[in-house]
Amino acid sequence: MAKLVITPENQIQRLNSILNTVENLASLPTNQLVYRPRPKSWSVIEIIEHLSVAYDIYVDKIDSALEKLPEKAGDNTSFTPNWWQRFIINGVKPKGGQRKLKIKTLKKFEPLLQLETLDEATIVPVFERFKKLQLHLKNAILVTRFKEVKAIKINSGIGPIVKFYLPESFEFLIAHMERHMLQIEEVLQQMDS
Amino acid sequence: MAMTDSEFEQLKTFFSLLEIEGESKRLFRDLWEVKSFRQYDLLTEAGTTENYFYFVLEGVQAVYVLNEKGEKVVLGFSYTGSPSGVFDSFSTRKPSTLFLEALKPTRVLGITYTDYQNVFQQFSGAHEWGHVFFKNVLLGRLSREIELLTLDTRERYLAFMLRCPEELKVIPQKYLASYLNMKPETFSRLRAAINL
Repeated sequence: MAKLVITPENQIQRLNSILNTVENLASLPTNQLVYRPRPKSWSVIEIIEHLSVAYDIYVDKIDSALEKLPEKAGDNTSFTPNWWQRFIINGVKPKGGQRKLKIKTLKKFEPLLQLETLDEATIVPVFERFKKLQLHLKNAILVTRFKEVKAIKINSGIGPIVKFYLPESFEFLIAHMERHMLQIEEVLQQMDS
Repeated sequence: MAMTDSEFEQLKTFFSLLEIEGESKRLFRDLWEVKSFRQYDLLTEAGTTENYFYFVLEGVQAVYVLNEKGEKVVLGFSYTGSPSGVFDSFSTRKPSTLFLEALKPTRVLGITYTDYQNVFQQFSGAHEWGHVFFKNVLLGRLSREIELLTLDTRERYLAFMLRCPEELKVIPQKYLASYLNMKPETFSRLRAAINL
């Protein structure tokens, strides 16, 4: 498997692109946002909420790591993950516009939205929460540019079986969102056809 | 910290084609805010829209794009006394594909897009200033393109070192090497071999 080199600038650019995409989704009519292509698959708004639930698990872990990480000199910020972390990251990363290896979501990452009760007003907080959390992620990436990232590893969202250095966790989270941005495109296309 | 009188004089010199005397002096000065950045702070992130046109009071900044490998490819620098910002995103109001990063601790004067537009409505001489400014930007970009396409690495190094301001010579070498489209090792070899 090819080497994966992570840089915070690349992550920021991709995260901004996701934020712009979701910002545009927020102006779609409610019926499009709650549309499920199949009874058991997620609607756009459920995917957004799923991304918030998944990130929420990381907020405290990231904050406490950031507090403890020592400052660093210089600006060499690129990072090369080890094989196990690279394997996990590549597992969620979409390749050539395709989502490979469809994975069933663990219970704790399920979006708990009552689709029937959602309307224009109750959808707003879902987008607000997403934006707030992802701006937290962006800030964490920016702060980490000035930190000695190899000093601390955190447990991933699925527990200590996968431990991440912060740049690896950011890469995983962004790759995971990119995967779901593709899923959102697919849902909207299925509605059109 | 507010801008000092001498900093305002520098700004006025940069905008010397604008008629800013008497009453309009205060008006013009109030359009600008002082912003400070640490070394390696990002002034503009790719994927966001550039909101400012800057005039640099202190420090060096680089504009770069990330290539497919995620490496920074430097398109240009700004430095004390020069304008700065991501001009394409600033003018089109579309998300930038470029980053603007402080390579040295930085102090700039910034004017927002709306206020910048108002300058063209409210100050006589603004369009003349704009004409000359963008003509110079174009000429600068053209001569850089010619250098990149026609000069070899040694000639590119020499041409740049002879014209660049002193403060640019002390930024991390990899940024200068990237700007000159050569490997950092090549840059450092040329620097050792050529005593300017």
